[in-house]
Amino acid sequence: MGEVLGLDHLSDLPQSIIECILTRLPIRDAIRTSILSRRWRYKWTTLTQLVFDDDCVAMSNDGIYEDLIYFITHVLFLHEGPIHKFHLSATYLQNTPDLDQWMLFLSRKGIRELIIELGDGEWFRVHSCLFNCSKLTLLELYRCELDPPPTFKGFLCLKSLKLHQVLIAPEDIESLISNCPLLESLALSYFDSLVLNICAPNLKYLYLEGEFRDICLQNTPLLVAISVALYMNDETEPFGDISDCNYEKFLGGVPYLEKLTGHVYFTKYLSIGNSARTLPVSYIYLRSIELHQVSFEDMNEILVVLRLITSSPNLEELQISGSSNPVAASEAPDLDFWENECPSNCTFGKLRVVKATDMSGVPHEMEFIKYLLRNCPVLETMSIRPCVYVTDRRLNMLIELLKFRRASPEAEILFIQE
Amino acid sequence: MTESAMAVVKPEMKSYIWLQTADGSIQQVEEEVAMFCPMICREILQTGMGSSKNYAISLPQRVNPAILGLILDYCRFHQVPGRSNKERKTFDEKFIRMDTKKLCELTSAADSLQLKPLVDLTSRALARIIEGKTPEEIRETFHLPDDLTEEEKLEPLRNITDDPRIRLLNRLYARKRKELREREKLKNVEIEERVDDRSVDDLLSFINGGDGDSKAVKTNKNKKKNRRRKDQQKDSSSTNENGNHDKIGELDALPCCQNNEFNKILAASPSRTVKSQDSAAAMYSSKIDFDDADIYDDLDPAMKEELDREVEDFARRLNSDWPERVQEILSLGQERKLVTVLTGNGSSPRFTKQVLIGGSCCLPIRVRR
Repeated sequence: MGEVLGLDHLSDLPQSIIECILTRLPIRDAIRTSILSRRWRYKWTTLTQLVFDDDCVAMSNDGIYEDLIYFITHVLFLHEGPIHKFHLSATYLQNTPDLDQWMLFLSRKGIRELIIELGDGEWFRVHSCLFNCSKLTLLELYRCELDPPPTFKGFLCLKSLKLHQVLIAPEDIESLISNCPLLESLALSYFDSLVLNICAPNLKYLYLEGEFRDICLQNTPLLVAISVALYMNDETEPFGDISDCNYEKFLGGVPYLEKLTGHVYFTKYLSIGNSARTLPVSYIYLRSIELHQVSFEDMNEILVVLRLITSSPNLEELQISGSSNPVAASEAPDLDFWENECPSNCTFGKLRVVKATDMSGVPHEMEFIKYLLRNCPVLETMSIRPCVYVTDRRLNMLIELLKFRRASPEAEILFIQE
Repeated sequence: MTESAMAVVKPEMKSYIWLQTADGSIQQVEEEVAMFCPMICREILQTGMGSSKNYAISLPQRVNPAILGLILDYCRFHQVPGRSNKERKTFDEKFIRMDTKKLCELTSAADSLQLKPLVDLTSRALARIIEGKTPEEIRETFHLPDDLTEEEKLEPLRNITDDPRIRLLNRLYARKRKELREREKLKNVEIEERVDDRSVDDLLSFINGGDGDSKAVKTNKNKKKNRRRKDQQKDSSSTNENGNHDKIGELDALPCCQNNEFNKILAASPSRTVKSQDSAAAMYSSKIDFDDADIYDDLDPAMKEELDREVEDFARRLNSDWPERVQEILSLGQERKLVTVLTGNGSSPRFTKQVLIGGSCCLPIRVRR
C-alpha cells in the first residue's frame, strides 16, 4: 500500500507528538510547516511553547528590531489556545510598547513560564498584568523595573524566580519572595546595597550576587544549595551591623545544605560578628564547599572557614582560593593558634578532594594546608596552585609541603604551575 | 526480534513475558526488558497478564512486530543499570539511524507504549531532519502531499511586516496569483498547448471573457464594468476547483493587468497608479517607454527581446521560494537592488508568456514617471 508515493507517516502521528517535534524546532521552522500541506496548515498554531530569539528574523543592519516585533506580534496573533511558555531573549530588541501588548495577551493565555531578556539600553517597565499571571511557575526577567501593585497577593504556583538587574523596592522584593509559597529556586543578581530578609519555606536553591549589605535567611529550612557573591562598595559601611553575627543570620537555619559557594567577600561577610567557636548547627548533608578570595591574614576569616568545615562531617570536596596580601600576611603574630586553639581532635572523615588556588605561601595558608593534611584520613588529592604573582616563594612552599604529615596514605599532592 | 536473537538472549531461569502484536503474532520477551515499557509494566502489575502464551498482553495497534523488535532493542540496552551517560548517548545516536518512515512508526509506537525517553529521542531526531530544510525538501523527505494551492502557500507572507520591500513582494505575489488563476482557466478549456501560438490580442480578449477577480480594482467610476465583472465572478467561482473562492476574493489584487482597457482604468483611478509606481520603479530598471499598452504587436524586435527578458526575470522571481526571498530582501538592508538580488529558479517559457500579460501593467506605469 502506498508503494509509489509512500504514506504520509509524519502527518499521521498523533498531535501530541507533532507538537513534541515542532517544539524542538526553531520557531521559524515550526511556523514554516504551515505551507507543507493541508494537514500541516494549522498544526503549529497550538504550540504551547514559544521561544523567540535574534535568529527569528534574518540579520541585517537595519530593520531587525522592527522585524522581530512584527514577527512576534503576528505569531501571537495567529496562535490558538493556551501558551504555557514564552521565552524572549533578543539582544536586538529594546523596550517597546508592543511588549505590553504581548504581556497582556500572554496573561490571558495561562502562561506558566515567562522569560524576557531584551538587549542593553533602556530598561523596560513590566506591565502590571504580569501580576495577574496566577499560573506562573517560572519567571525570569532581565534589566527591567518591577512594581507590584498593592493588591498583589503573590504567585501561588511560582517555583523559580530569577531577577537579573531588576529594579524593585526592597520591601517589594521581600514580600514578592515570601508571597510565593512554593518557591524553590531564587536567583537575584546585580542588586545594590540591599538589606534582604528571605522567607521562603520551600526554597532549595539560592543564588545571590550584588552589593548586598545585610542578608538574613530568616526562614529557608530546606535550602540545599547556596551560591553568593557579595561586592563591597567602598563608600558604604561594610556589611551590616557589627553587633549581629552574620554567620548565624546566614547559615543558622539551613540544616539540609549540600553545597555552598561563596565568591568575593562572602567569607569576610560571614566573619563579621562571628565569635562563637562552638558548633550550633551541623551540616550533615554538606558535601561541597567552595570559598573564593579568602584573606588568610584575617584570623576572623580563618575562623569562619574552620567553623564551616568542622561543622560539616560529611564534606567531600573543599575548594579555597586565597586573596592574601603577602606582605601583611607574612607577619603572623597569632601563629600559635594552630597549635593551641584549633580543634585538633577533629578529623574530616569524608574529605577526598581539596583544591587550593591562588596560594601565596603565607604562614596561615601553609598552616591551614598542614592542618587539612593531618586530619583527612581518606584524602585522595590535594591540589595547590600558587598565585601567579608569587614566584619567589614557590620553592619554599614546596619544601614546607614535603614536611607535612599526611593522615591519608593515598593522598596525592599536586603542585600546579602554569 | 528474530528467532535467533531470542535464542541468544535466553539463558535458563529467566522469567518471560508474552506479548501479542495487533497482527496476532505472539512473542516471548525477558521480563526486565518488557517491564521497561510503562504500558506493559502496568498491564503486568494491574492485570497479571503476560505470564503465558494464552494470556499474552495485547499491544496497541501502532506497535507492529518489526517496530516491537526495535523497541525491545532499545529497552534491552537501557534497562541495564550502571551504564554511563556517554554509553547511552552513543547507543541512542546509532539507534535512530533509520529511514524517516521507520522513525515515524517508531515514534508513534513508543508513544503508545508510553516510553517517553524514546519518544523524546525520536522526536528530536525528526526535528533535526526537518530543521533548516525548505518546504519542498521536507515534503520530499516525508512524502507529504503537495496539496496546497500556490496561493495558499503564498498567503502566510501577506502583511507579515509593514516593510515597503515586503509590500512590494506582496504585490509581485498578487500578480502571480492572477497568473495562476489564468493558467488554471486556460487549462480548464484545454487550450494550454496552443497558448504560445495565439496573438496577444486573442489571448487578452479570451481572458477578459473569463476574467474573474478584479474586485479590488474597481472604482466607482467603473460601475458598468463592475456589474459585468460581478457576473463573471460567479462564473469563475464555479470553475474554481480549489474550493478557495473566499480567499481569492479577499486577495489584495493589483490594478487589473490583463485587461486591454487597462489604460482607461488607469486614467480613471490615478491614485492607484501612483501607489504602484515605486514598486514598479524598483522592479524594473529598464528604460523602455510606452505610450500605449496596446503597442505590443508593434514592438520593435530589440525592445521585445528586452521586454521578454525582463518578464522572464520577473517570473523567475515569482517562482522562487518565499521565505528565502524574504530573508534575502530583509538582509539587503537599505539597498534596493532588487533586480540583481531577486533571481530564483528559471521558469518555463510557457509561463513566461503568461507573465507577459500579467506584467504588462508595469509598463504603462513607467510612462508616468
